[in-house]
Amino acid sequence: MAKHHVQTTINGDPIEFLCDTEETLLDVLRNQLNMTGTKEGCSTGDCGACSVTVDNRLVCSCLMLGVEANGKKIGTIEGLASGDKLHPLQQKFLEHAALQCGVCTPGFLVASKALLEKNSNPTETEVRYWLAGNLCRCTGYDKIVRAVMDAAHEIRSA
Amino acid sequence: MSDRSVPRYEAALKVTGRAAYEGEVPAVGLLHAALVEVPIARGDVVAVDASEAERTSGFATMVSYADAEPLKPSPATALIRDRAVHFAGQPVALVVADTLSAARDAARAVRVTTQARPSVTHMAQALNTAYVPAMVGRFPSVSNRGDATAALADADRVVRHRYETAANIHHPLEPHAVVCWWEGDKAVVHTSTQAVFGTRAMIAHAFNMPPADIRVISRLLGGGFGCKGQLWWPWMFLAMLAAKKTGRPVRLELTRAQMFRLVGRRQETVQDLALGFSTNGCLTGIAHHVTAQSSTHAEYSDATAVYTRYLYACPNVTTSHLLVRTNEPQPVPMRAPGTAPGLFALESAMDEAAVRLGFDPVDLRVRNFADHDQEAGRPWSSNSLRDCYCIGAERFGWARRPAQGTAVDGRWRIGWGMASTMYPAIRQAAKVRVQLAADGAVLVQCGTQDMGSGTYTALGQITADALGVPVDRVTVELGDTVLPDGPFSGGSQVTASIFPAAAAATAKLRATIAAMAIADEASPLAGQRLDDLEFRDGSIRSRSGNVGEPWANVLARKGTEGLEAEGESGATQHPDLTATSMGYGAVFVEIGVNAGLGEIRVRRVCGAFAAGRILNPLLARSQYVGGLVGGIGMALHERTETDRATGRMLGETLADYLIPTHADMPEFDIALIEEDDPHLPGSVKGIGMLGTAGIQAAIANAVFHAVGKRVRSLPIRIEDVLGRR
Ligand code: FES
Ligand code: FES
Repeated sequence: MAKHHVQTTINGDPIEFLCDTEETLLDVLRNQLNMTGTKEGCSTGDCGACSVTVDNRLVCSCLMLGVEANGKKIGTIEGLASGDKLHPLQQKFLEHAALQCGVCTPGFLVASKALLEKNSNPTETEVRYWLAGNLCRCTGYDKIVRAVMDAAHEIRSA
Repeated sequence: MSDRSVPRYEAALKVTGRAAYEGEVPAVGLLHAALVEVPIARGDVVAVDASEAERTSGFATMVSYADAEPLKPSPATALIRDRAVHFAGQPVALVVADTLSAARDAARAVRVTTQARPSVTHMAQALNTAYVPAMVGRFPSVSNRGDATAALADADRVVRHRYETAANIHHPLEPHAVVCWWEGDKAVVHTSTQAVFGTRAMIAHAFNMPPADIRVISRLLGGGFGCKGQLWWPWMFLAMLAAKKTGRPVRLELTRAQMFRLVGRRQETVQDLALGFSTNGCLTGIAHHVTAQSSTHAEYSDATAVYTRYLYACPNVTTSHLLVRTNEPQPVPMRAPGTAPGLFALESAMDEAAVRLGFDPVDLRVRNFADHDQEAGRPWSSNSLRDCYCIGAERFGWARRPAQGTAVDGRWRIGWGMASTMYPAIRQAAKVRVQLAADGAVLVQCGTQDMGSGTYTALGQITADALGVPVDRVTVELGDTVLPDGPFSGGSQVTASIFPAAAAATAKLRATIAAMAIADEASPLAGQRLDDLEFRDGSIRSRSGNVGEPWANVLARKGTEGLEAEGESGATQHPDLTATSMGYGAVFVEIGVNAGLGEIRVRRVCGAFAAGRILNPLLARSQYVGGLVGGIGMALHERTETDRATGRMLGETLADYLIPTHADMPEFDIALIEEDDPHLPGSVKGIGMLGTAGIQAAIANAVFHAVGKRVRSLPIRIEDVLGRR
C-alpha cells in the first residue's frame, strides 16, 4: 500500500515523513524519526508514557495515527528544554528525585507542562487527578506532585 | 537536606528524553520481531507452518523449535526446544520482518497445529499433587524449632486462620526488549536485564560459545522488580537465532499483554498460620504452612514462611512450603519476595492476637521482640526494630489511636493499623575499577546494572567520598560485560556488594598517590607520615601540618597518564556467619473506608526503617516510598486471574490490572534510622525490599480497626468490605 506523506511541525521544526496507514504517531516518532524520548509503556492508552501535545492538547501518541499529525503542531519531551537550559519542571523533577528508572518521566513532564499551561496555579488535588493517567511503577508519586507544585510556583513568580 | 542527598547521576538524561534504553539502540538493517502464540493451556505442537506468512510483505524469516533444537538443553532453553505447551499464550515461534506491523501480520499468518491435553488451570484443582520443594531460595523448605504442635495445644490463647495472596505482575514500565546482532561468531546483545553476567553465561551455555565472544549491555533499565531475569532468556534466544539466520540485527520487544505471561509473576499463596500465646502476651508456639503455585515447566518458591522463623522470640516454631504445579505462567521473585506475602499473614495474625489478648499492637510486638536470631542461634549484627516501632509510633501519633470503629470523617470511617517489615542483608561478589586521570577526572566502572534504583548515583558517591572529590568529577560506567564483574540486581544487595570493592580500589589509589607525594621532593608533602595524610576537597593534605596540594598535581608532575586500581569483594558466606544481618522497619497507616461504597483510601503512611548506614537520604526515601506504593498495590489493587476453563489470563492490559496511580496516593512520612553495624562493610544493608513488605498487613489491620471486618485475602477490594464475597 502506498505510504502517506505527512507534513507537520515538531517542537517548532517543520518535519515531513512517510508512514503506513496503521502506524501510530508513537511508532513514527520512535522508529522513523529516532525521537525515542517519547516512551511506549502499553500502546493501549493506559499508561501515559507516550504523552505528547497536538496543537497544545495532551494526547497519548499510541492512540493517534501518524497521518493524523498532518498540519498539526506536535510537542514532545525533546522540546521542553531550551538548548542546555532545563525547563523549570525538568529542574524540579531532578531536584526532588521525582524519577527512578525514568521511563514514565517524559510522559509526566509533557503532561505537567500541559496542565500548567491551562492552570498556572493548580491545587495538589488538581495535580494528582490531572496526572492520574500517567503510571509510575518506581517512585511512589509523591515526589512528582511536589516537583510540579514547586515548578508551578517558580514559573508564577518568574 | 544533607549533603549526601545528591541528585540522581543520570537524571539530566532522563528528564530531557535523551536517556537511551537498550531497546532503542539504533542498528542498520534492523529487523523487527513478533512472537507466535498458541491458545491451548497444555498439549503439544504438531506443526508450525510459515508458508502463508512467507507471502506477507516484508517477511524475513521464522524461527521455531526446529531452529532451537541445536541449543544446549537447560531450563533456559526448555520452552523453545520442546514441543510441549505448558500455559495458554505460550510462544512457539518468532517471526522477523522489515517493520513491526509487518512482523505482527506475518506472525498472525503462521499456522500452528496443536494437540491439546487436559490442563490444570488453578491450584485448587490439584491440591492432591502438592509437594515439598527441596529449598525455598537459599533456605530449607521445612523448619522445626522446639515442638510447635505441643505448644499450640497447650497455649492459653490460639489465633489460627487462613490467609491468601493473589498472583501479581511486576509490570516495569519498560517492557522487555533486546536488540542483538552477530559479528561473525561473536554476539552483541543490548537487552534490558537485571543480570548482564548471568545473561552472558546462559547465552554461552545455550549457544555453546566462549563467554568472551558475547557482549551483553544493559546501561539503563526501565525498571525490573524481579522479572528481568531468567524467564526472558528463551524469548531473547529466539531473537538471537533470528539474527543469526538472517545475518541482520533483530529487535524484539514484548507487548504489555505478553508481560502478563512470559516473564514471571508473584506466586499465589494460601497460608495456614497459627500463633499460640500465654495470657501475658508471650508467643509460645507458631505454625506457618504455605501452599503456592509453580508452573509445569520450572520450579520456584518464595521463602514465604521463612521470616516467621526470625521475626519474634518464640521457642516452638514450625514452618513449611508446598508447591502445586499448574498450567499457568511461572512465578519468579517480585519486590520483597517472600516477606510481602509472608508478613501479610504473620502481621495480620499478630493484630488479631492483640485484639484477642487486649494488648496494643505495638506493645505486643515489643513484648515478643527477638533479641537474637533464635533459628540459627547467633546474635544479630544489628537490629533496631524496637527503635522503628518507637520512632514510627511517635511520628504517626499512635498514642492517640481512637477506639476501634469510632473515628469518622464525613462519610469516611477511619482506621489505623501497623505492622513490621524485615529483609535479609546479603552481598554478592563484585569487582570495581577506578581510574584517575592526570587532570583530576575520576572514572569508576562496574559491570553490574542500575535497575533504576540508583546504582549510578551510589557508586559515584562512594567513589567521590573515598577520594575526597566532588561527585560531579566522577564518571560512572555500568551495565556492560566488558566491565569488571558485578552482581545481579535483586535481593536489595547491589549497593552493599559494590561498596567494599569500591572501597578497596580507592584505598589502593590513595596509598599510591600518598606514597608518590611523600617521595616527591617537589611536593609540599614530601617526607610527611603516610598515616597523617587525608583526601579532601580534591586535595591530599597532612592532618597535623597545614600543608597539602591537589592530588592531580602529584600525578601531573610524574607525567603519568593516570592511575588505575581494581578492588574486589566476596559474597556473604552464610554458613560461616557469626551474626545474622537483616534490615527492619515498622509501618503505620491511616485509611478511610467509604461507608456507602466500600472504597478504601490510604490517607497517610509513616514508615520507620533501620537498614544500616544510608548513603543518600534523598534516594533512600524515594526507594522506600516507591516500595510502599508497590505494597499498597498488592494490598488494595493488584490481582491477575486465570479463566479456569481456558487457562488464559483475564484482562491483559494496564486498564484491567489495577495499579496505584497518583490520585490514590497518601502523604508519606519516612524516618531513616541509621545504624552502625560492625559486621558489615561500611555498615551498608540493602533497603529496596523493606518498604514493599509489612504495609499489606498494616492496611488490613486498619480496615479492621475502621469497620470491624477482618479481610484475610489480598487484594482487599470493595466487595470484601461490603461483604459480598
Ligand atoms: S504507551 Fe500510550 S498510553 Fe501507554
Ligand atoms: S520512574 Fe520508573 S516508572 Fe516511573
